[in-house]
Amino acid sequence: MLFFSFFKTLVDHEVTVELKNDLSIRGTLKSVDQFLNIKLDDIMVLEEAKYPHLAAVRNVFIRGSVVRYVHLPSGAVDTALLEDATRREASNAAAAKGR
Amino acid sequence: MSFFGFDTSLPRDRGHPATAPGFAQATDHFAGLSKADDDDDDGIDFEDTYDGLGDKLDEKDDAFNDETFGAPEETIGKDFDFHGATARVADAMEEEHEVFNRSARNQSVARVAAAPTQPARVEPPTHVPTLRPDMSLWGSGPATTPQPEPQPEPTPVVQPPVGRRILSLEEVEAQILANNEQRHQSPFQQPPAQTHQLPPQHQHVPPMVTPQLHQYPPQQHDLHQLQSQQFPAHIQSMLQRNQTPPQVQHRQIPEQHPGGVPLQQQQRMQPMGQPLHPSRNQYGMTNHVPAPQLQKMTEAEKARFLEEESKRLKRNHKIAQLARYNGLMTPADKNFITRIQLQHLVSINNAEDNANEDFYYIVHSAIRARTNPQQPLNQFAQTYLFRQGARGRNRQQDNHLQRMEQQVQRAVAAAKARPKASQLVLEGSLGKISFSNVKTPRPMLNIKKSDTPGGEPIRRTQRSTFSSADRKSLLRAIENVYDALLELEVHERERAKLPILMQDQQPQPAHVEWAARRDQLVAKLWKETKIMEPINPTSTATHPFIAILSYSKMKRAVQRIFRHLDPEQRVTVLTMIVVHLDILDVVKHGVYLPDETQLPSAVREEIEMFAASVLPPLLGYVYEAPLSIVVGLLGILLDRVDVVAVSKTKIGLAFLTMFSSRAEIVKQAGGAPESELQQWQVMYDKLFDSLQGHWMECFPPGMFVDDVYVWQFLASIAVGANNAQQQALVSAVKDRVMENVRASKTLPPELGAQKNANVNLFMRAIGLDVELLG
Repeated sequence: MLFFSFFKTLVDHEVTVELKNDLSIRGTLKSVDQFLNIKLDDIMVLEEAKYPHLAAVRNVFIRGSVVRYVHLPSGAVDTALLEDATRREASNAAAAKGR
Repeated sequence: MSFFGFDTSLPRDRGHPATAPGFAQATDHFAGLSKADDDDDDGIDFEDTYDGLGDKLDEKDDAFNDETFGAPEETIGKDFDFHGATARVADAMEEEHEVFNRSARNQSVARVAAAPTQPARVEPPTHVPTLRPDMSLWGSGPATTPQPEPQPEPTPVVQPPVGRRILSLEEVEAQILANNEQRHQSPFQQPPAQTHQLPPQHQHVPPMVTPQLHQYPPQQHDLHQLQSQQFPAHIQSMLQRNQTPPQVQHRQIPEQHPGGVPLQQQQRMQPMGQPLHPSRNQYGMTNHVPAPQLQKMTEAEKARFLEEESKRLKRNHKIAQLARYNGLMTPADKNFITRIQLQHLVSINNAEDNANEDFYYIVHSAIRARTNPQQPLNQFAQTYLFRQGARGRNRQQDNHLQRMEQQVQRAVAAAKARPKASQLVLEGSLGKISFSNVKTPRPMLNIKKSDTPGGEPIRRTQRSTFSSADRKSLLRAIENVYDALLELEVHERERAKLPILMQDQQPQPAHVEWAARRDQLVAKLWKETKIMEPINPTSTATHPFIAILSYSKMKRAVQRIFRHLDPEQRVTVLTMIVVHLDILDVVKHGVYLPDETQLPSAVREEIEMFAASVLPPLLGYVYEAPLSIVVGLLGILLDRVDVVAVSKTKIGLAFLTMFSSRAEIVKQAGGAPESELQQWQVMYDKLFDSLQGHWMECFPPGMFVDDVYVWQFLASIAVGANNAQQQALVSAVKDRVMENVRASKTLPPELGAQKNANVNLFMRAIGLDVELLG
């Protein structure tokens, strides 16, 4: 749930999603779910010349499993908090295992 | 049954009604739609049934048919006398017919007689008996005859049920037998009597209309109707007798008023009464509206009827549009979706889980909310459940929402109550069954670790001193600190949930409990820092606190830990650091090697981190500390640490600056006890003496580096120095001052001014100014 929790804070920020088919889409993150499916608005394909058929597409829904990378806006990421959240996650997992 | 092969049977006579509710249906709910418009679906088209065999006849060899079969001796005339031939057996036929009719009638009359309270049955006119085939003969449907016909009499048709008793089978049989005997004695008595009972309105109705009137009851689809269609006539009449009054009355309404109004009533009733198959039934209704009915209506009625009809059609069309995708999802699919949604709701609503699972989001939005109060705090929850206050046009809608919410809450509670097993091991099965849930959409990798973890972790816990502490155990120790810290911070946040206390109010049990838990957590954190491990001066091993402080992770944590410590613990931390100042990584590695002009980047980063995270809380403490503590700390520093080595580093100088400047501030503020001031003077002199001759070593190599901290240190020393000490200091650093002033002139104006300002820190302390140097 850490990534879900994390991506929720990036809603309305601009992110670049790199897909496993090498397509890179930049757009405003509108929503994300626990499968890390992503909804982007006002999208722009980075190599527009290569993918002309996407020039007219304004928003996309991306299945979480096809995402390779998400480029984050560094200003919107609280690294220290992310570290703490990671620790929480780890301790939760440990607690769940111990149960 | 029909002479021309048409199917003259009434709809309800065609065996079991496939559209009746309560019976298993084919899933195609709108199959009737295509049928809706063709009116002649009763008949069978020749094209449909002709198998085309006639076309295959070979007719080319017909030439010798005459020879083969013999030529016709005379041409066949067209004056067939079928009637004449028939007339010869007409009498016999008539007789048979009469006998048949009588016996059939006797049966039904007997049935009526068996129930004396039942209103007399209306018989069709006897002069057209052949037009009314008795369907009961075929056993496929009920005869129309036993159905109670509409009664013109205002007397209530329905008898009070109390006056009625259910007859046993024996009784019924006995009555039928008795009546049969009676009939045989006077066979022709009954029919005329029945005819005279016919209501006047029905006498005008041509017999052909009667079947149409009988068309309505099947559309009601009530239980009674089904029974009447499935059972032979005599059983049906028994059923009718035992019927409850409302049903009987209900059935009679449309029959008494054969106009369009009751028809509409039926049509309107149907969607309400049978919500399970609304569209199918409505479609079924449309083609049953008989044209004669429409013609009989008045203009206003007709308009109203048509309007209703079009409205209904429109609605049906809409439903049909929506229903196009009906049945795409199986019940299992729907269950799956519902489960996921519920799990999602559970995780959203689970407050204590939230802090664990959604930590980043919650804290991040809390921080954002602090910086931007306009930001709604928990928008996620609002989106899902808590929006009922915003809208709600009418009460009914509110009720729906509330009911749904309650259901969701109940479901959530039930889901929470369920044991949280993530795996199920069935006895005898070869593997484990993992339940996926919303948090782990897919089962996680289930890597089985060996059950014997080796002696390593045990050794770690047993070893109280990090005598041979390896990197891994140090990192583990830091993580333990963080875990304790996070637990404590979560607990601190829970303070907001406590009721607010007034100034003079006694703390409630909740507060006491909270405070106790807090103290417990602080103690745990304190223990995890390992700061209370005894200092062993003879040991070569680093003290565990200093060892873990060499990691930037721990440096970052110091500021957060400090917040939770009391003054005594703070001074302990400070003392611990001061005692080990020379072996602190940032000091140890912070010394410039002879040929170095710049420290390695890793060391520089550590120094920056220390200056940014560890120094501020320490400074904050020292700047409020009494002089005695400053004196004590400086004393320890001078006693235990190589001051000259420390003074060559940025962090070391920072500590020295910290003490001397604090002492100077206290001294100038006054109020400090004379004895403490004297102690300080002693310490100061000692520090000055030990650094005498090493002043220039404080400066980092190179001319154009950041040396402001050195000037700050020199300034803080110079302020407290006596004349002789000032002289010595100035002569020691004079060259450096001059170099700086010269360099500042070659630098760009801003940087030059900065450099001059740095030097001036020191110059002002001894009562001079860079400007004086020209």
